[in-house]
Amino acid sequence: MSLKHDIEFTLNGIKRRVTVDVTMNALAMLRDVIGLTGTKYGCGEGECGACTIQVDGVSLNSCLMFAVDCDGRNVTTIEGLANDSEADALRDAFVEHGAVQCGFCTPGMIMQADHLVRSGCCGDTDSIKRGIEGNLCRCTGYKKIVDAIASVSGAQN
Amino acid sequence: MSVAEKKARVIQPDSLIGKRIPKMDAPEKASGKTRYIHDINLSGQLHGKILRSERIHALIKSIDTSAAKALPGVHVVITAADVPDQRPIGVARDHFPLKVGRVRSERDEIAAVAAETEEIAEAALKLIKVVYEDLPVISNPEDAIKPGAALIHPEPHGADGSHEHLKQGTTIAHKGKPDNVAMTFDYAHGDVVRGEAESDVVLEDTFKLHYVTHCCMGVSGMIAEFDASGNLLMYSNTQVPFLHKREFAEYLNMDPARIRIIQPPIGGGFGSKLDIYPFEVICLYLARAAKRPVKMLFTREEEFLASPTRQPVLLTLRSGCKKDGTLTFRQVHTLHDNGAYTSWGATTPFVMMQTFSSLYRVPHCDYHTAAVYTNNPYAGSFRGYGNLQATFAIEQHMDMLAEKIGMDPLAFRLKNAQDAGETTGQGMSFKSCGFKDCLTTAATRSDYSRKVQENVANRDKPGNIKRGVGMASMLHVGGGAKIYPSDGCGTILKMDDFANVTLITGASEIGQGSETVLSQLVCEELGLPMSAITVVNNDTAITPWDVGVHASRTTFIAGNSAIGAAKKAKTKILAVAAKKYDCAESDLDLRGGFVIKAGSGEVVVELSKLLRNLHFQDKAELVMTTFYYEPPSVHQDKGFKGDVSAAYAWGTQVVEVEVDTDTGTVRMTKVTGAHDVGRVLNRLGIEGQIEGGVVMGQGYALTEDLMIENGVMKNPNFRDYKLVTAPEIPEMDISFIESMDGEGPQGAKGVGEAPSICIAAATANAIANATGVRMFELPFTPERVYRTLHGQTPKLYWKPWKAE
Amino acid sequence: MNELKHYLAPTSLDQAVECLKDGDVTILAGGTDLTPQSQAGRVKIKHTLMNIRHIPQLSGITLEGKEIRIGTLATITEIMAHPLVRQHLPVLVDACNHFASDQIRNAATLGGNICNASPAGDTLIPLLVLDASVELASMPEAKLYRHSMPLSTFFVGPGKTRRSLCELVTCVRIPLPAEGHVARFHKLGTRPALDISTISIGIAGTLKEGILSNVRVAFGAVAPTPVRASQTEKALEGQRLDEATIEKAAAVARDEVKPIDDVRASAWYRKEMIHNITKRILSHVAQA
Repeated sequence: MSLKHDIEFTLNGIKRRVTVDVTMNALAMLRDVIGLTGTKYGCGEGECGACTIQVDGVSLNSCLMFAVDCDGRNVTTIEGLANDSEADALRDAFVEHGAVQCGFCTPGMIMQADHLVRSGCCGDTDSIKRGIEGNLCRCTGYKKIVDAIASVSGAQN
Repeated sequence: MSVAEKKARVIQPDSLIGKRIPKMDAPEKASGKTRYIHDINLSGQLHGKILRSERIHALIKSIDTSAAKALPGVHVVITAADVPDQRPIGVARDHFPLKVGRVRSERDEIAAVAAETEEIAEAALKLIKVVYEDLPVISNPEDAIKPGAALIHPEPHGADGSHEHLKQGTTIAHKGKPDNVAMTFDYAHGDVVRGEAESDVVLEDTFKLHYVTHCCMGVSGMIAEFDASGNLLMYSNTQVPFLHKREFAEYLNMDPARIRIIQPPIGGGFGSKLDIYPFEVICLYLARAAKRPVKMLFTREEEFLASPTRQPVLLTLRSGCKKDGTLTFRQVHTLHDNGAYTSWGATTPFVMMQTFSSLYRVPHCDYHTAAVYTNNPYAGSFRGYGNLQATFAIEQHMDMLAEKIGMDPLAFRLKNAQDAGETTGQGMSFKSCGFKDCLTTAATRSDYSRKVQENVANRDKPGNIKRGVGMASMLHVGGGAKIYPSDGCGTILKMDDFANVTLITGASEIGQGSETVLSQLVCEELGLPMSAITVVNNDTAITPWDVGVHASRTTFIAGNSAIGAAKKAKTKILAVAAKKYDCAESDLDLRGGFVIKAGSGEVVVELSKLLRNLHFQDKAELVMTTFYYEPPSVHQDKGFKGDVSAAYAWGTQVVEVEVDTDTGTVRMTKVTGAHDVGRVLNRLGIEGQIEGGVVMGQGYALTEDLMIENGVMKNPNFRDYKLVTAPEIPEMDISFIESMDGEGPQGAKGVGEAPSICIAAATANAIANATGVRMFELPFTPERVYRTLHGQTPKLYWKPWKAE
Repeated sequence: MNELKHYLAPTSLDQAVECLKDGDVTILAGGTDLTPQSQAGRVKIKHTLMNIRHIPQLSGITLEGKEIRIGTLATITEIMAHPLVRQHLPVLVDACNHFASDQIRNAATLGGNICNASPAGDTLIPLLVLDASVELASMPEAKLYRHSMPLSTFFVGPGKTRRSLCELVTCVRIPLPAEGHVARFHKLGTRPALDISTISIGIAGTLKEGILSNVRVAFGAVAPTPVRASQTEKALEGQRLDEATIEKAAAVARDEVKPIDDVRASAWYRKEMIHNITKRILSHVAQA
């Protein structure tokens, strides 16, 4: 039997307790144990950003994080942005700017963009592009994603 | 509201065409609520995993699954021996889903497990013991066609040496193949010998195109379940559900009527889901054996190893022109690396030969392809379908010929460009053609001709950064492609009591935005807002037949089908209204949710009210219509001639680069594109298609390289298979040429594949403009460019091969 | 199937090194390497998995005398943003800016980057030319024992260091650069970051009246470990940075490295790039 461990953490504003395999990553915990499927598996190696979540206010790849390491921390997933007006603006911008095609990268992209907007790291389009360099998109060519983020952050070229 | 005011109510004309309409499913996707196949779990579901070959080319001497079967939580373990009714799959029916007796490539499927969890299934795979006997590996197509080369699909022989079929059957999988040639194509018009004799300049060069793969962000997957009556329900990512329904039935030896395919939203397609791959059939075998739903998902590594690729091509092109710039002939020989089995990649010559024969006016053209078996990954269909490879060669030769005769490369292209009204040597008839507008628009907006001169003048100045500009153009089908018996699409349209419309279309949505553009076309006809429509497009039990998402056909074919159904509904509505309000049908129209007077726009009645009246009268009626659209294209004859598409799309792209001569790094700074799209329907959607395609083309040109050495994939991961990331994208300036195609929906033509096609060719021309050095092999990685700049790249030459 | 028996998350350094005594421990910090490596089965987690993230002594960036101390748990993002680092060690900021992606920079720790000992590790080259040392803690008896080791002697091979199984890297110490100190870093890849270097180069020294002294040169991705280039340093030490010196040093650098062919580049190209980029960096320094 694989080693289990109990953890307690805040997920999308709600305290919860979960028993996880010690070797499991946070992505698998979110999707398979807790059942929140908005966070996507794209590569499992931190190269694509589809699994981006926020932990204690910064963005991370949930595939690069042990589930046990969520213990005591504050975790936000795409589902946790549902009632957040700042995130609403970002989501609307993605829709209005045509930044969504197949949509598979979109939740991770929005989690990263939300982190960038909140931390004030997108004053110009070059820093937005650098800010999402860890998020791969195969459909859009990124331009409309950058436009969408810039429209919310007020970035200039 | 007074009677007078009511009478004065007028609905102003408005149109949805050309507007920026957000994608209808984007809010769900942006909220993380969309359930892709990965997110769907059925109760009682098992997890399937596949054991792949540890060898590249080997005989399977024995397989021992006993330990795997004994592992708790394992329900089913199967090998070829457990599925005696396996049928050969693939475009040439040249392999079995579970390989029989022999593996021919790294990805080959040997056994499969269905277990309670993915972890148990994986653990079970590790317990399966396979004994192999290695065979020589052929990893180079040039070796595969050498006399005496080892055979990839030899005829099976019995112990006494006599020829022995595996089973009764006539497919390659059963009886083998006496050589390694999977497919050949030969096309000609005119007389190339005469063409060459008339030429003042003749060039011959060999070009080499590499392996790349789709890299859909959502990995491949499938869920299959047989119900208690033996009916099969599949959740599949297929792009061609109706063709696959029939094909799956063949593989399972069952009635296609008992197969239902549901297509959940898909994490990217790009042509990768046009064929049935072994994992899908294996998933069905597991579900059939386990009598439980089975879900199978790839890992990213597996996605690299076992997904299709773009076909690698070795291509020798001979072309000529006269001093005045008239093209005289083209002669093309290509060698396609088919990999171990045949998928759609082998058939890309259908598209390639069109570009060679018809992109420019060429009086004499001769084209030959051999697709040959090797022990490499097998190639499928990928956005552009051979056109990236063909255009890479042609458009470099256009620049090189222009240089030889001292002509401006733009003027040279304009002189030979097609016009509307022409029929080419291959029988393609260009009813709308904005090619010359594309050329001049892209050139003008990018200041092409001035920059070409300026960059040449600056080439020898000091500094390690050299600027270059390059141009390339493309021709692609834009009105479907009549490959199958029908190239059509069906639509069912239903209106409810509140004047909302349900559009039930055969057309599959793979992220390209078809649901939005089809809705737009329907709402335009019926004078309804976008909020009044719901689309159903993903269930073969509900939707009418469509040939599938391929060949940039959906907007054109499904669009015309949707318009046809909407027009029928409109006719019925206006007939009812005319009768009720005692006027001529031609005096009425639909606008803004109302029946109006066609001339003045005055409201006659609210549409929902009219529909309710129709519904709840004595002779109750509902407005429901169907339409099947078949484009007026024809099948090609045996010589590949005929007007295969109802319309053709054109485009010109100008690429600007900075080459760092210290490192060989090429930075793509700007792409100026002009595309003849017929007419812009959804501006937001079409921009997204073009921008995404440009960046996919950028990856093909500069960064993406699936490295195969002796049949082994060296970089099955995003670390070393480099997709373009956001900071690398060029500035993009896109113009649309609206040639208003007479057959197209609202004048539009297909554009899905177009934007990727020219980028590599234009980049090669830009590098040559910057450095004076020509690159004949992709991709333009820093090391390859640096080597070439330093004269360390031997000139490629492939002597065309001819069948004995 | 799994020999992992314990998961521990100690809250003090003493507890952590006590736990390390039996040597059969896998240390978890940022997790950006360990998670995917262990998921893919490339790294086997030992008897105990110890998460060191809750140990306050391992965090922080501070000035201690004439040294800047960077705690092993400092993330790449924290290092990039820290005023002390930005003021005194801009070359380290530069390297961090080319490190993976924002998400990974937010999680990856300096200690992790050092202990993973990748030949192409992005922070290692600037740390080598800044004369950084690592501090290791252990508990051989009942008492906490700390000792320092120059980073230049720390790496043994890909993924291998001189850290014993009973030791924990607690921090990195970097001497405050003297006046006139110049340092440059260059990472060659096709992307700004999220890319494993084809090669990387760090050059540092004291530039006074055009003469370079105390020269430090380090190369990444040309050997089994990040390496100091002693021949190249010799060719530059005490020299005026003129065209002849620069060309000579670049040629020495090219001859000094013994890279390999891999999926990212050939040995030949790597040697060429060591030459060209060394030359480029030195020319920039000379012109500055």
